[in-house]
Amino acid sequence: MSISAPRYGAAPVARTGRIHRTLAIVHRELLRRAGLGTILVLALTYLAVTLVLTINTDFASLTGSLTLATFETPYASPAWPFLMLIVATSVGAGSLAEDVGNRSITLYFSRPIRRIDYLAAKTAATGTWMVIAAVGPALLGLAVILALGWAPASLVLAGAGAFVATGLLASVFFTGLALALSSLTTRSLYAGVAIFGVVLSLEIGAPLVSGLTGNSSAAYASPITDILSVAQSAFGISGPFATDPLTSAALLAFGGGLLAIFAGWRISRVEVVGE
Amino acid sequence: MTGVVNADSVTKRYGEVLGLNRFTASFPSGITGLVGPNGAGKSTLFRLLAGQLRSDAGSLTLLGFPAWGQGEFRRRVGYCPEHAALFDWMTGFDFVTTLLRVDGFSRANAQERAGRAIETVGLTEARDRRLKAYSKGMRQRIKLAQCIAHDPELILLDEPLNGVDPVGRATLSALMRQLSTTGHHLIVSSHVLYEVERLTGQIVMISHGQAIAQGDLHRIRDLIDSHPHMVDLETPDPRGLARLLGAWDHVVSIEFAGPEKLRVLTRSPEAFYAALPALVVTENLAVRSVHSADDNLDAVFRYLAGGGR
Repeated sequence: MSISAPRYGAAPVARTGRIHRTLAIVHRELLRRAGLGTILVLALTYLAVTLVLTINTDFASLTGSLTLATFETPYASPAWPFLMLIVATSVGAGSLAEDVGNRSITLYFSRPIRRIDYLAAKTAATGTWMVIAAVGPALLGLAVILALGWAPASLVLAGAGAFVATGLLASVFFTGLALALSSLTTRSLYAGVAIFGVVLSLEIGAPLVSGLTGNSSAAYASPITDILSVAQSAFGISGPFATDPLTSAALLAFGGGLLAIFAGWRISRVEVVGE
Repeated sequence: MTGVVNADSVTKRYGEVLGLNRFTASFPSGITGLVGPNGAGKSTLFRLLAGQLRSDAGSLTLLGFPAWGQGEFRRRVGYCPEHAALFDWMTGFDFVTTLLRVDGFSRANAQERAGRAIETVGLTEARDRRLKAYSKGMRQRIKLAQCIAHDPELILLDEPLNGVDPVGRATLSALMRQLSTTGHHLIVSSHVLYEVERLTGQIVMISHGQAIAQGDLHRIRDLIDSHPHMVDLETPDPRGLARLLGAWDHVVSIEFAGPEKLRVLTRSPEAFYAALPALVVTENLAVRSVHSADDNLDAVFRYLAGGGR
């Protein structure tokens, strides 16, 4: 008779691929941020944008001045970029910071999930919330207008395209910014303050520098100015714009991408240090 | 070295502080206890093994793979961290299911496994409660559930019995022994040697970031016995518990350390830990937590680290 140690013999189980595993984190993140505050802000935004769009369109069609530019109203005011700022802060500031700060990231990193997949999941979840806030309300408003028959379908479709293009660009930028700043700290509060600080500093600082130096290209440094230029152009408003819309669009996309890459670089090096 | 986990001169610095200092040890198959006082470097080693930290020098492998990184081999490893926030807004069931899905199980399979793991750790009744409502002991159990749910070959348990009530300790210890009988390899850290002794005779002792002893636990048992062992108990009725414990002849002293806290000094920790669960059950006592201070072990570790001086 021989005695031997027990051998591990669990039968191999078919596992899902990287995309499914990443989506599991996206799903969890989307639910995590679906708090009462976020839902309330979004509900008010949807209501406000739908009301502004429908009332404006009704008025414009009565006066015979209905054009694509009529739909621009919700995006014409700086209130919209600021709303994006609030959403980016509430859903993005804690995205990475909280996980590292409270060490729940440990639960992910001890699994067969690559750090880049983890970041992709966080980006997708934050980006989804940003798109829901940036594009969703306007599309709902347009759907109502179409259902009421207050504007021709072709015009509504063009308006939807403009909203999607502008909203996606803004979402890319704010998602990248939120993730990058969230990756720099272990406290979501600091990241939130930093998101506001960076955007507001650029908003105030860019015109100042532009005025002092006489160099109008400094205006490109303000993401809010860039977003408004892109929006005005997308809705067919003739210039002059504070910045060239195409250059602004490229800057927003490139800046957002670069910031997300920076967050990825940070996450690839993060070490979870204990107490 | 041919262990399940092999560490060769592993060094980890936190700035000026040395977390691990040329740590060298081999963890064989079966259960191995990693024993050392608080701050000895146990959690640092576990975080290195879990891919949370990158070593500054040396080589660390688990199941033959370098420890840094999140490769596919991680599905063969289960990790129960000592300190980690759980996803408090989730129920226990959702928590384990989510992590199984990150592991690569389909939704149905993940749910089925999560249910089974939660049942194994004795949390079935609380599985649909949010984690923020869990007690410390329940949180330890749910962490253990997520660690074993995917049936990993190597299980890393960092202070798994910390904060667990006496009956729970017995249950979880039995579970660990049962896992080892089915071929799983377990590395269990604790600052309480007696906890580990009831699980395995195979230990690695760590102090100041270095492995100071490795092998058969019984060889150092005699050293421990000469030092009284301190145990802190949390109970709503400290006077009643003190009256019962006072009747045990190996109990040297009992101190009321707080309104609901009792500090007991015993000459025979083995007898103490063996008899406590039975006392709790027969006398229907409410003991919320049992915590063993490691002051007495420090002396032993100093002795070993000093080469028996």
